[in-house]
Amino acid sequence: MTTSLTRRTLFRAGTLSALGLAGAAVLQTPAPVSSQEQTATHPHNEQTMFMPGTVGEVDHAANGFNPTDILTDFDYGKVSTLPSGQTLHEYDFVAGTKDIEVAPGIMYAAWTYNGRIPGPTIRAREGDRIRINFVNGTGHPHSIHFHGIHPAGMDGVFEPVPPGGTFVYEFDAEPFGVHLYHCHVMPLAQHIAKGLYGAFIIDPPQGWPPAEHELVMVMNGFDLDFDLANDLYAVNTIPFHYDIHPIKIKVNALVRVFLVNVLEFDPINSFHLHANLFHYYPTGTSLTPSEFTDMIAQMQAQRGMLEFRYKYPGKYMFHAHKTEFAELGWTGNFLVEA
Amino acid sequence: MTTTTTTTKPNPLSTLALLILPVLLLAGVIGLFLYTSGAGLNVQSAAPIESLSFERTILQPGVIEFRIRNTSPQEINIAQININDGIVRYTIDPGHTVPRLGRAVIKVPYPWVQSEAYEVAIFSSNSVAFTTAIDVASETKVADRSTLLSFTLIGLYVGVLPVFLGLFWFPALRRLGPRWMMFLMAITAGLLIYLGIDAVNEALETSIGLGGPFQGVGLIGLGVVVTFMLLDAIARRQVSVGRSEADQRLTVAYMIATGIGLHNLGEGLAIGAAYSVGAATLGTFLVIGFILQNITEGLGIIAPVLRDRPTLSSLAWMGLIGGVPAVVGAWVGGLTYSQPLAVLFLAIGAGAVFEVVYEIGKLIQRDAAKRPMPLTIFAGVTVGMLLLYVTGLLIK
Repeated sequence: MTTSLTRRTLFRAGTLSALGLAGAAVLQTPAPVSSQEQTATHPHNEQTMFMPGTVGEVDHAANGFNPTDILTDFDYGKVSTLPSGQTLHEYDFVAGTKDIEVAPGIMYAAWTYNGRIPGPTIRAREGDRIRINFVNGTGHPHSIHFHGIHPAGMDGVFEPVPPGGTFVYEFDAEPFGVHLYHCHVMPLAQHIAKGLYGAFIIDPPQGWPPAEHELVMVMNGFDLDFDLANDLYAVNTIPFHYDIHPIKIKVNALVRVFLVNVLEFDPINSFHLHANLFHYYPTGTSLTPSEFTDMIAQMQAQRGMLEFRYKYPGKYMFHAHKTEFAELGWTGNFLVEA
Repeated sequence: MTTTTTTTKPNPLSTLALLILPVLLLAGVIGLFLYTSGAGLNVQSAAPIESLSFERTILQPGVIEFRIRNTSPQEINIAQININDGIVRYTIDPGHTVPRLGRAVIKVPYPWVQSEAYEVAIFSSNSVAFTTAIDVASETKVADRSTLLSFTLIGLYVGVLPVFLGLFWFPALRRLGPRWMMFLMAITAGLLIYLGIDAVNEALETSIGLGGPFQGVGLIGLGVVVTFMLLDAIARRQVSVGRSEADQRLTVAYMIATGIGLHNLGEGLAIGAAYSVGAATLGTFLVIGFILQNITEGLGIIAPVLRDRPTLSSLAWMGLIGGVPAVVGAWVGGLTYSQPLAVLFLAIGAGAVFEVVYEIGKLIQRDAAKRPMPLTIFAGVTVGMLLLYVTGLLIK
C-alpha cells in the first residue's frame, strides 16, 4: 500500500476521525482498546495448530530421487581389488541439466551429478582407491572438487571439464571423516547453488563402532528467483520432507548422522536436536567426540558426525536453529519407536 | 453517359463481400503465423512472462486471505506461499491453475498479530515470486449491519454533509454584487480544477497496482474523455433546446452537482476500500480540515444560480446528487473493492469535474462579455486552487 500522503489519505483519515467523533454517540463503537483486543485474539485452534509447511507433495519419481532413500543410500561404487591389493571404488559421474521439483509445484532448473541433489554419497574406507569417470553432459564447463587429501591435478579446480568433455579423478581416500565434493568452476556460488554437490564419507580403517542407523544429511537450499538469497531450505533438498515423512529410528538404538552443510548465500547453518543431546565429531576425523550438545553450527563446507540415542519413544523434531531456515523448510522429525 | 452508372446503388452483397475480404486475408495471415510458429520471427520467450496482481488482502482472526488476479499472457500455477520468511500451508479456490485474467482466492491459516507488518511472496510453478505487504495488520471489516452503517456514515462525512453545509451559504451569497458573484464562480472553477488534477493523480497512483492487461493509463483516458464528452453533449442539447439563461444556469448547477457526485463516488470507493482494509488513522484535527476542504463543493454547486431563485427542492436535489454517491461509493468500495473499477471511477470523476469547469468557463465568458473583469476571474481561480492547496498543507 502506498504511504504517500494524498487527498485520499486525508479523506481516509478525516473520515475515520469523523467516525470517531460521531461513532461514540451514534454507533456506540467499542473503545479503541477493547476493539484492539478483540481483533488481536485468534481462535485457539488457529494459534495452537499453526505449522509452517508446503502444500502438496513433490513427485519423487519424476525427480528421480526420494530424500528418505538418500538418507541411507551409501554408494560404494564398483568395488574391485587392484594388483597392489588396494581396494578400488569406481564411479561413473555425469553432470546434467534437470528440472527438479524442489517444492510441491515449483520446478527448478538444476545442475546435477547423476540426476540427483545431493549427488551420490560416495563411501569408502581410508586407504582405498577412488576412481571417478566424469562426463560433463551440460552446456557449461564443470568439475568435481573433493575435500580431502589428494594430488593437485585431482583437485578439480584448474582443469574445468568442457561441455561434452570427460575427466578421470583418481586418488587414495584419506583422511577418514565426513567430507564433501562439489563443482569448482566459476562463478562458484552459482555452480554450487544449482545442485552440483554431494557427501563423501571415508570410514576409519577399523571402521566406526556399529550403529543401528547411519544417515547422511546434506543441508542445502534453493534461490528460486536468482536474488542471491535462498527461498527454500532443506536437508537433502526437499523442504519439510522429514516433517511429513518422519525418519523412523528405534528407541535406545545408536543413530549416526553424517551432517554436511553446502548451503550457498547464507553464511551459517545449524542443526538442533529436540529432547536429546548428541556427541559431535567435527569433520568426523577423530574417534573422540569434542562436544556433547543439542546444537551445532556449520559454515559452508563444514561438516561433522553426530551420535545419539533416544531414551523415550515418540516424535522429536530436528531443525536448523536459525528459525527462518526452519520455517522455510529445514525442519524434520524423528519417530522413535519402541 | 457514364455518369448514370455511378449513381446506381451498389449491390449490398458485394459491399459486404468487399468489407469481409480484408478480414479473411487477416485471418489467413494469422493462420500462417500460427502454423509456421512465428513465420521467421523467434517468438519463443526465454522464460515465461508472468505477472499477478493482488486485488485485495483480507484479514480475519487466524486467517489471511488474498484475492489475486492473473495478469500474465498465459495461465499461471500457484505453487507455494511465503509469509515473513516461512513457508505456509494454504487453500486456493477455485484451483492452483489460474487462467489469464482469472481470479482466485487464497486462504492461509496464519496467527497474525494486531498492528504488525507482514511480507508475503507467492511463488508460481516457474519459481517466479510475487510479493505484497501487509503494512499494519488489522481485522478487515466484513459486511454486517454495523459496518454498513459505518460506510453510510463515511459517505455522509465525505459527501452529503459538506455539500449541504456549502449550500447553506446560499441566502448570504445571493446578496452579493455581480463582481463578487463572478469571483465566487471563478473560485469554484479553481476548486474544481484542483479536484480534477487530484483525481487524475489518484487514478494514476491506483493504476500502478493494476496488471498490464488493464492498461491503467488508457483506462483513465477512457474514463476522463468519455465522461467529458458525454456531459458536454448533454449540455449542448440543453442549450439547443433554447431555454432562458436562468434555466441554463440551473442546468449548469445540476451538472456541477453531478460532476461533484461522480467525483465523490470515486472518492467514496477509495475511502471505503481503505477503511475496510484498516489503512486508516484517527485524528480530530484532520476531521476539521476535511470538512473545511469539502464544504467548498456545496459552494461550487450554488455559485451559478446565486442571482436566480432556485426552489428549495432543487437545492435539496443538487445536494443529494452531489453528496449521496459518496455513500454508494463507500458501500461498494468497502464491501467489494475492485481496483480496475476504482481507477475507472476516479477517472470518471475527473472527467466530470473538468467538464463542469468547462461549463462554468462558458458561464463566466458570457457574463464577462457584458462586463469584463479579468483580474476578478484570475484572482478567483487562483484563490480556489490555493484554498485547497493551503488547507492541504495544514492537515496533511
